[in-house]
Amino acid sequence: MINPFIYFLLFLKASLFSSGGLSNLPSLHQDLISDGWANDANFGQSVAIGQISPGPNGLWVISLGYLTYGYLGALLALVAITLPPFLVIPISAIYTRIEHQKRVQGAMYGVSLAVVALSIAVCWTILYQPGIDWKGLLIAVGAFGLALSRKVNFLIILAVAGIVGYLVYR
Amino acid sequence: MNSQNPKPGMWKLFRVWATIGLQSFGGGASTTFLIQRTFIEKYDWMTMEEFTHFWSLSILAPGINLLGLTILMGRKLGGSWGIVVSLAGLLLPSAAITCILVALFKQIENIPAVQMVLRGIIPATGAIMAVVALNFALPIMRKSSKEGTFSLLKNSIVIIVCTLAIIFLKLSAAAVVLGAVILGALFFSPKAEPPIQSGEEK
Repeated sequence: MINPFIYFLLFLKASLFSSGGLSNLPSLHQDLISDGWANDANFGQSVAIGQISPGPNGLWVISLGYLTYGYLGALLALVAITLPPFLVIPISAIYTRIEHQKRVQGAMYGVSLAVVALSIAVCWTILYQPGIDWKGLLIAVGAFGLALSRKVNFLIILAVAGIVGYLVYR
Repeated sequence: MNSQNPKPGMWKLFRVWATIGLQSFGGGASTTFLIQRTFIEKYDWMTMEEFTHFWSLSILAPGINLLGLTILMGRKLGGSWGIVVSLAGLLLPSAAITCILVALFKQIENIPAVQMVLRGIIPATGAIMAVVALNFALPIMRKSSKEGTFSLLKNSIVIIVCTLAIIFLKLSAAAVVLGAVILGALFFSPKAEPPIQSGEEK
């Protein structure tokens, strides 16, 4: 029998000590499996659904909530992942107070360089995986050109990529 | 630094975020791409520099960075209610679609055609992420190349080292951000006089 309060706290804890994406998976896996509130299949399925559903990758926990505890689980998961990012407000306030210090400006500039690096690394992680061969890379080059042109609707880019994928891998 | 266009109304703001929430198939790459395209290029409600600043602050907060970004952008464009409508707009359509997909997934998961379509879409999201990275990098590259070759080199080295550290050394994002904070404070703090040369670069 799931205790909704503890269930929520487990999701909140996992989100509080993570940085988005799948980084909250190990904590949730450990806690929910040991309580018998989820099984390995639930995790595999929610990660797969998270990859195709819209929005940030971290929303995969919504499907985990739904699979393990129905609509209430989805709702609790949604609230649990929404709360920790609110800490950005005090962080922003602290930054505003100390931003005139030169070292702080330098440190923040360093973060903006790390942001570029993190984005390149995500790009690499998506493209460098077993399912992607030279045909996949050609699709990526084509999509890159379309996205860069700023003239093509985003969903059309994805749709074209999906159709090309279907034709090439048939 | 400030963009020209007036702030949107609450209903408009909600609809813009909901449109992004409904369209951003392909995960965080698609979401970030659509946010950049919509808020900066289409409506000019903020500049790329502001966006990068908000993103840097979100990186420092726990949890999903895109939600921290949404909170800061919502607050800038509409105060507390701006935060509420922005989060609701981004999350509710995605959450609803997720629940529908859970119900459908068992039935479509093993259809070969679905696998083939996905093999086309996944590289496209990688490309979308490359455009996002380029959008983040361009203002930095432009500014540093104005400051001279040394500055451009210094910026590029930090970006490349951080990227390689994540990809090959498998360092966590938090560790790399911490490293970048230290490097930034040491080598990128503004000086009283314009830097003529500094010998501390490795």
